[in-house]
Amino acid sequence: MIRHTLLAALSSLALVTPAVAAEAPAEIKLGALYASSGRFASISMPVHDGMMLWLEQKNAEGGVFVKVFNRKIPLKLIAYDDQSNTGTAATLYNQLITQDKVDILIADSGSVLTSVAVPIARDNKMLLIDQTGTGATFFTPDNPYIVLLDDPVSTIWPKPLADFLTQEGPKLGIKKVAMIYATNDFTGTQANAVRKFIKESNSGVELVYDQGVPTETSNYTVLINNIRATQPDAVIELGYAPNDIAFLRNLADSGVKFNFLFCIYPGLETDLLAKNVGAAGLNGVFTYVPSSEMSYESEFGMNLPQFKAAWNKAYGHGKVEFGFNSVAGYTTGLVLEKALATADSLDQLALRKAIFDLSGKLKTIDGTFELNAEGAQIGEITPLGQLAAEGEQIKFVTVWPFAVATGKPIYPAP
Amino acid sequence: MLIYTLLAGLLFGLYFSLMGLGLNLMFGVMRIVNLAHGDFLMLGAFLAFWLFNLFALNPIPGVAVAFALFLLAGLPLYYLLVPRLLAARDPEMLSFILFFGFSQVIEAVATIAFGTSERSIPGGSMARAAAAVASLLDLAYRPGPIAFLGQSFPVAWLAAGIVSALAVLLIYVYLYRTRLGYLTRAVMASREEAISTGIDVHRVSAIAFGIGIALAAVAGVFVPFMLGSITPAMGVDVTITSFAVIVIGSLGNPLGTVLGGILYGVSYMFMQSYYSSWANLLPYLLLIAVLLVRPSGLLGRQVRRA
Repeated sequence: MIRHTLLAALSSLALVTPAVAAEAPAEIKLGALYASSGRFASISMPVHDGMMLWLEQKNAEGGVFVKVFNRKIPLKLIAYDDQSNTGTAATLYNQLITQDKVDILIADSGSVLTSVAVPIARDNKMLLIDQTGTGATFFTPDNPYIVLLDDPVSTIWPKPLADFLTQEGPKLGIKKVAMIYATNDFTGTQANAVRKFIKESNSGVELVYDQGVPTETSNYTVLINNIRATQPDAVIELGYAPNDIAFLRNLADSGVKFNFLFCIYPGLETDLLAKNVGAAGLNGVFTYVPSSEMSYESEFGMNLPQFKAAWNKAYGHGKVEFGFNSVAGYTTGLVLEKALATADSLDQLALRKAIFDLSGKLKTIDGTFELNAEGAQIGEITPLGQLAAEGEQIKFVTVWPFAVATGKPIYPAP
Repeated sequence: MLIYTLLAGLLFGLYFSLMGLGLNLMFGVMRIVNLAHGDFLMLGAFLAFWLFNLFALNPIPGVAVAFALFLLAGLPLYYLLVPRLLAARDPEMLSFILFFGFSQVIEAVATIAFGTSERSIPGGSMARAAAAVASLLDLAYRPGPIAFLGQSFPVAWLAAGIVSALAVLLIYVYLYRTRLGYLTRAVMASREEAISTGIDVHRVSAIAFGIGIALAAVAGVFVPFMLGSITPAMGVDVTITSFAVIVIGSLGNPLGTVLGGILYGVSYMFMQSYYSSWANLLPYLLLIAVLLVRPSGLLGRQVRRA
């Protein structure tokens, strides 16, 4: 009798166990890194703050809807400060996975701080939510544990720039191009892409100066003089925000003028660059036109004016400037929200599938979300624009591709 | 290209000398390594930034304000930190730990106070100061880059070079032409003997400490023009560069700092011109080379005991 009772009890326990396992967790644990100091702070904090804006909004609404539990679940963010240090970041990524056991692993902003997360996530079979780490080497057919959410892979970024130089450039008299780039995954990959696009174009445009510099470079005066000696018709400078600030300041202080100058961050972090370089220093500079400037039709989440208003309300202190990276962080949240609402489980590969299923279908403030087979973003493209200073105001004029152009390029730049 | 690179190296080298001068003075007098040196430089840069933005004070007069304020701040800071450190069994090693911690505190507080983003002072401000000086001296100058030995350089480079040269000169006048300087050199030669002869070692050291961080702050005023922008986290890189400069020249010898700075500057600019990707390796390569060939630095033995 006792034996029967025990067996019955064990059987009922066995029946109950799966039900307990399927119970909704009290919270979904997101693990993320940010850099509150160091070289990448100015691109990391806006991304982090942008995501926080989404997270706080969702938690105020009771959490995000998780399909597998058919209910809203609050989000808990476990975030550590890597201080822009890759060694610290590697330790903290491991901590998020093995100690904190987060449900979703989110990389810090930028390719440098993402690069150390790629092998760690892969080894631990955790899907890496890559926000803005666009280095092309991160995405390989044999690694299903990465997906790039918020900006296109670096091989795509400079396509409009290279197309403009090789297709429109010769008509404007651009034949000789000088390129200087910071040697990291983000700008190094873009430099490789520019080189490839120019070579394959057979347009007669040639690279007369092609030099890499350490990402920590803080003075470009001698390099500017060397570039000038090659008498280029166009100059491409690829770096992070501190690189671009130093380059543009050194250029102004040297009294050197290039007819065509392209830099990345005057477009991505316009407010930050304007504070450091001044509106006059940005006048005529060619740059990417990011989603913080180009108002895409958003079918999910806030649109650009709404988001900008929410940002200013939350972070009006001015210590972290509004720019592309703010939009990127918010976009991370939107994609995760959509994925959790459709994923069949919280298993990492199920999450990946849910995110891949959004490809080509999700339109946010950041443009059309689209992935290639390796998880690299190929949707949210960056047209080429030229900045025009009107007093202290900076305006974007999109010049390429023609389909989205809002004006004509001024060459030579004023 | 060659001449431009060489001259740029000389000018920038003078600035590197200024960066290292205060660190070296402190080591020479107190035998302590101030790993917060770069953070004092960063604070000097932020002081210049706020003076410019709040009071429209040009960075050139800002140099004097920074020197005075940090000299005054350095005196109580010395009495707060250093005497206890010097009473320890191994003050040189302990100074690494103490000032490393202090560096972290300064950086954290600065981050909270100023935020993480880059900050700068408009480049034109230096040109305006140069125009005012030129007008006083009745010299022809149109705001913009300035010609130096047939080459054109940003006016800030020349200003930084002149201020650096003046700082070195004044340090020499202080050390070799003033009574306080004689006492300072006595402490540099032997702290114990200086105490036994009745020299107020703490007073002498406190002034040297104050001058040391004041020189760092003066170098900081030029940061927006020489190093692109100011961030609270820049201190560590500056400390490493300053440390390399003074070790190359020789620890404890101001003239060695000038030589170290110029050698560093010229080598750095040549690396930038011809092997730009490898430019950041330079401080370590130079350090290794100098320590292998002359472990006491380029001017090690001869002048240290002068």
